[in-house]
Amino acid sequence: MTLAELRRTSAANLCVECGKCSTLCPLAAVADYSASRVAAIRDPEAELLRQAGAVQRCLTCALCEIRCPQGVRFSDFVRGLRPDIPAELRHPCPHGEALQAAARLMARGDEIDRDLSWLDDGLRVADEGELALFVGCLPLFDVIFEEELGLRSLDIARAAIRLLNRLDIEPVLVHDERCCGHDLLWSGDREGFEALAAANAQAFQTKGVQRILTTCAECCRTWRLDYPGVTDGYRPQVQHLAEFVAEKLDAGELEATGESDGTVTYHDPCRLGRQLEIFEAPRRLLRETADERFVEMEHSGADALCCGSPGFVRCDAASRALQVERLGGAAAAGADRMLTACPKCLIHFTCTQSEDRRLGRQMPPVEVEDLTVFAADRLTPRIQGEAQ
Amino acid sequence: MTVAWENASLLARSLQSGPLTLHAVPPAPCTQACPAGINVKAYVSLIAEGRFSEALEVVRERCPLPGICGRICHHPCETACLRGDLDEPIAIRALKRFIADVELDIADPPAAILPERPESVAVVGAGPAGITAAYDLARAGYPVTVFESEPEPGGMLRYGIADYRLPTDVLDHEIEVIRRAGVQFRTDCRIGREMTLTELLEGGYSAVLLTVGAQFGRGLRLTDEECPEIQDALSFLRRVNRGEREPLGGRVVVIGGGSTAVEAARTALRLFARSVEIVYRRHWKEMPASAEEVEMARQEGVNVRYLRSPVRAEIENGRLRGLTCLDVALGEPDASGRRRPIPIPGTESLIEADLVLLAVGQEADLSFLPDDTRERLERRDRLSAEPATLMTKLHGVFAAGDVVTGPATVIDAIAAGHRAAQSIVRFLTTGDSDPDQQARAPEPPTEYGLPDTPAEHAERMAPPIERPVAGREFTETELAFSPELALTEAQRCLRCGPCSECRICASSCGRRHIWLRLPGEGTDEPVLQLIRAPSSTALALESEVAAGHLLDGEGFRSIELIPARVRMVEELCRGCARCVEVCGFDAILFVHPGDPESKVQVDPALCRGCNLCLAACPTDAVLPDLPTTSPAELLPRGDREAATPKEGPTVLVACRQRAAELGPRLEQLGGEAVPLWLRCAGEVDAGTLLDLYERGAQRIVLAGCATDHCRYGRGTRLAAVQAARAQTILRLLGADHERIVTDWPPTEEQPVTLAAGTGGAA
Ligand SMILES: Cc1cc2nc3c(=O)[nH]c(=O)nc-3n(C[C@H](O)[C@H](O)[C@H](O)COP(=O)(O)OP(=O)(O)OC[C@H]3O[C@@H](n4cnc5c(N)ncnc54)[C@H](O)[C@@H]3O)c2cc1C
Ligand code: SF4
Ligand code: SF4
Ligand code: SF4
Ligand code: SF4
Ligand code: SF4
Repeated sequence: MTLAELRRTSAANLCVECGKCSTLCPLAAVADYSASRVAAIRDPEAELLRQAGAVQRCLTCALCEIRCPQGVRFSDFVRGLRPDIPAELRHPCPHGEALQAAARLMARGDEIDRDLSWLDDGLRVADEGELALFVGCLPLFDVIFEEELGLRSLDIARAAIRLLNRLDIEPVLVHDERCCGHDLLWSGDREGFEALAAANAQAFQTKGVQRILTTCAECCRTWRLDYPGVTDGYRPQVQHLAEFVAEKLDAGELEATGESDGTVTYHDPCRLGRQLEIFEAPRRLLRETADERFVEMEHSGADALCCGSPGFVRCDAASRALQVERLGGAAAAGADRMLTACPKCLIHFTCTQSEDRRLGRQMPPVEVEDLTVFAADRLTPRIQGEAQ
Repeated sequence: MTVAWENASLLARSLQSGPLTLHAVPPAPCTQACPAGINVKAYVSLIAEGRFSEALEVVRERCPLPGICGRICHHPCETACLRGDLDEPIAIRALKRFIADVELDIADPPAAILPERPESVAVVGAGPAGITAAYDLARAGYPVTVFESEPEPGGMLRYGIADYRLPTDVLDHEIEVIRRAGVQFRTDCRIGREMTLTELLEGGYSAVLLTVGAQFGRGLRLTDEECPEIQDALSFLRRVNRGEREPLGGRVVVIGGGSTAVEAARTALRLFARSVEIVYRRHWKEMPASAEEVEMARQEGVNVRYLRSPVRAEIENGRLRGLTCLDVALGEPDASGRRRPIPIPGTESLIEADLVLLAVGQEADLSFLPDDTRERLERRDRLSAEPATLMTKLHGVFAAGDVVTGPATVIDAIAAGHRAAQSIVRFLTTGDSDPDQQARAPEPPTEYGLPDTPAEHAERMAPPIERPVAGREFTETELAFSPELALTEAQRCLRCGPCSECRICASSCGRRHIWLRLPGEGTDEPVLQLIRAPSSTALALESEVAAGHLLDGEGFRSIELIPARVRMVEELCRGCARCVEVCGFDAILFVHPGDPESKVQVDPALCRGCNLCLAACPTDAVLPDLPTTSPAELLPRGDREAATPKEGPTVLVACRQRAAELGPRLEQLGGEAVPLWLRCAGEVDAGTLLDLYERGAQRIVLAGCATDHCRYGRGTRLAAVQAARAQTILRLLGADHERIVTDWPPTEEQPVTLAAGTGGAA
């Protein structure tokens, strides 16, 4: 795609340089950053090179997009620019690019055969069938973050399966599932992304999967918005687990167990909120489980702040500042606990929270937890009573 | 070197650019007296502090054979020791033996040092001179091979001196340390037989050092008849030391007055000789053997007859009956400075003997020299070498030790080994072998006086002695000090001079801000230098200096420039302090950890450039001073469309410390192995390893130093964590995690993995 085409498809060509995006941009609030200048990139050579840093810094959180009078899809525009950034100007991704390297490896076409030994006793899964759980990179996160932060991301997948089993559903786990490709796509490796998308589509289709549940906002967005067009022959229904649970609540198949403890709030991951417009389902779930004790932060829903490090594309001082701010917002809302529907948000917030323990810094007294884990502990099937 | 006080105000600034001399001291009498230049005062002081292994480190800097010198050195240091003017000298030799034995008991010998220089050196003869030179050369980075005709290295230490004075396991241990330093030994290889000198010279060695010793015992014509009962003492000892310990039974007479004579006599005693006598033609004062040895021999029952000279062997029916000797008078001093023995006619007497051992001198066996060079190199049964450079008349061929001086002592051989190594290094680096440029006038030794407030009398401690008993004739006679005795004895030391040079300051400053440089380390006199310090320390020191606490009237100067190493990109730093946790040198300043806004800064004066913080930083905020090769440069990706090769080259990701060792072994890793050298293996992260894998590396060998030997501290441990992460990620995906292999040098727990082609991180 040429730059002119990109400007057209992302509507950047309609930009009138009003500067509204910059006033909203969370990055601009914590760092020296101008969104509107990026929106104005017209020249693929000089201008792009000069703005290469800014193009990579954008959180792609799409906050600016909610107020843009011209409907510029800023995050799409930035994403479209990234593949053209020359290698020498490209900043490596956080954590030594280990996650990106693993994703590229999966994109290479080798046979993948996932180690499923993390499935605890009693969890039931199927090899083929209609409904599948897309596990994503959770096992890989544990390799790094369990050691560094004491965070077990796989608990999210375990919780999802436990909840599904209670509904007597044995989700398919596809043993040759690959990374969804989100991080590669957003860091400028479109080719790698396409390879992953194609391979995943084929793997899930082969297993007869019609419906895919994810526990990750980014996977959900990627399957739903970015796979179509790449994986034409295969169109499964893709849902975040929160949506699936909300449906079950509506249908009266699930109900909350007992009292909720403490006050909770909800952080809308940008991919799930603004980009997929899934605002209601997680709230439905929280109203059911936490009842009165669910509070909203000042910035929530379409207005939610970003976790500061989407897709592991970049982490820096600004990311940290946004994380601290977000945690502060949760505390200000009176919450003891902030839930999120994205395992990556969870990692980023937990990292910042760990400074409390490691460096003795005063951090907002808020616990961060994953929505799926929270829900699995508090929901039970209505008709059969305890299934397990 | 008197520097005005105003220089003190330059302190803080000079620290930014280099080290600072805090004070200078001339060497103590003991140190001055040691031919090998061991810093005696320093290690004695360390023993007095109970710091035994640090003391041994000091010894080993100048003496690779501490356990041996601690047993058999003739200790000129004790002769010079100032305490001798007060009561008795410090028992320095026995103290040295004590610390060497402590290591023998507990510790793991020090780390390997790896060659990095391209020129190799051959040493002929694995006696103390050759071993010392080889050790020095290996430490200077040269690959060294020592050729030895006997089955084991050690020279006279193994085949001359017997076990009751020098047990073989002590020698074996010290040789092992030297091996670990990278010195190769080729035993059972006699130059002149298995190989020739010409082959060495033409076979890729850039320099050859001849340290073949003086192997032949001189003869004495006592009879015209064939008489097997008259033997050369050296050959006798060599047989015994090889394990032929046939009981002797009869009366043994040893002729001579050197170490060899005394050694032969004491050995004969241990082989159940009925009686042993030493016959020496001069006075006891003139005996080359040390008084201590002679005294021990006498106490064990050896009878020494002085001022007798054997003239004739008496043989009856083909059997030796004894020796006819003349009494001797001493005339004018001869060339050696000793009075010339003059036999007095008509004073014949018979000394009965069943076996006579001749120890009347040794000469070198120079038969290995090619005929055309022999004439040029040989002078009176020895090799002649230029005194200043120790180079012979053959370019690039050096000689040292007994082969040059004639039979001398271990410590002289060690000293000669040092000088030869130094000269060889100079020759190899500058091509310089001109003696004029190298000859340096010896500096007049500084006189030390007894301290103004004299120390109280304190008795010299003596190590326990064990008499030979039946069945254990060859176990050690002199035993080691107990730790209590060693401490008591070492505490007698007066620590002549202002500083004990023990380097405790340097080593106790874990961040290595302080360093003590000694002569030969770029200075002529010992100087205590503050080489790196954060500004706060510099300021504190400035006031100390101004108050006159630190400099004893001597000045200071800055010598080295310490370049800045890593840099932090402020915008990327999220102040998480992971780099601070990993840096072993306090180089990362983190002023207000509690302040969430605070970021880190690198102090260029402290950073060692190990790059460990690179892998630790989650945001990639640390930049190295020199960019390392990236996987992308190493294995550029072709067209993504075309399937990535999965049988690409083997990649060796390795610490530069191991470059010299691993470079040549690259071939062993498979045809087209490519290296990626790092400052420290700990610089690598899991992402890099996975990236290499993804780019088609069929095998990735991550090689660092042994766990406890990383010069930056935790490098190997950190690398192991990253390797394990990469392996786990591959395993989780069902990919071939065995393609990532770790290779740490062998330690007791962890054997070598590279050669075996197996392995993996813990
Ligand atoms: C019995 C005895 C007792 C002693 N006691 C003491 C003592 O108590 N204190 C003290 O300080 N000193 C003592 N000495 C002296 C001391 O051992 C020597 O001065 C010292 O070993 C000399 O060291 P060097 O390296 O020059 O030679 P050496 O130790 O003689 O080593 C020379 C080596 O070269 C090898 N070699 C020779 N020719 C060749 C060749 N062509 N190719 C390959 N290898 C070859 C020999 O096998 C030998 O291993 C004693 C010596 C003897 C013999
Ligand atoms: S808000 Fe929209 S129109 Fe306005 S500057 Fe930003 S991108 Fe352009
Ligand atoms: S990590 Fe979470 S909050 Fe951040 S961009 Fe991704 S989805 Fe949004
Ligand atoms: S008193 Fe100590 S420092 Fe002084 S000469 Fe003797 S051993 Fe050396
Ligand atoms: S590890 Fe990186 S981000 Fe963390 S404090 Fe150090 S430089 Fe900053
Ligand atoms: S390179 Fe090494 S010494 Fe320098 S700051 Fe980093 S960890 Fe510390």
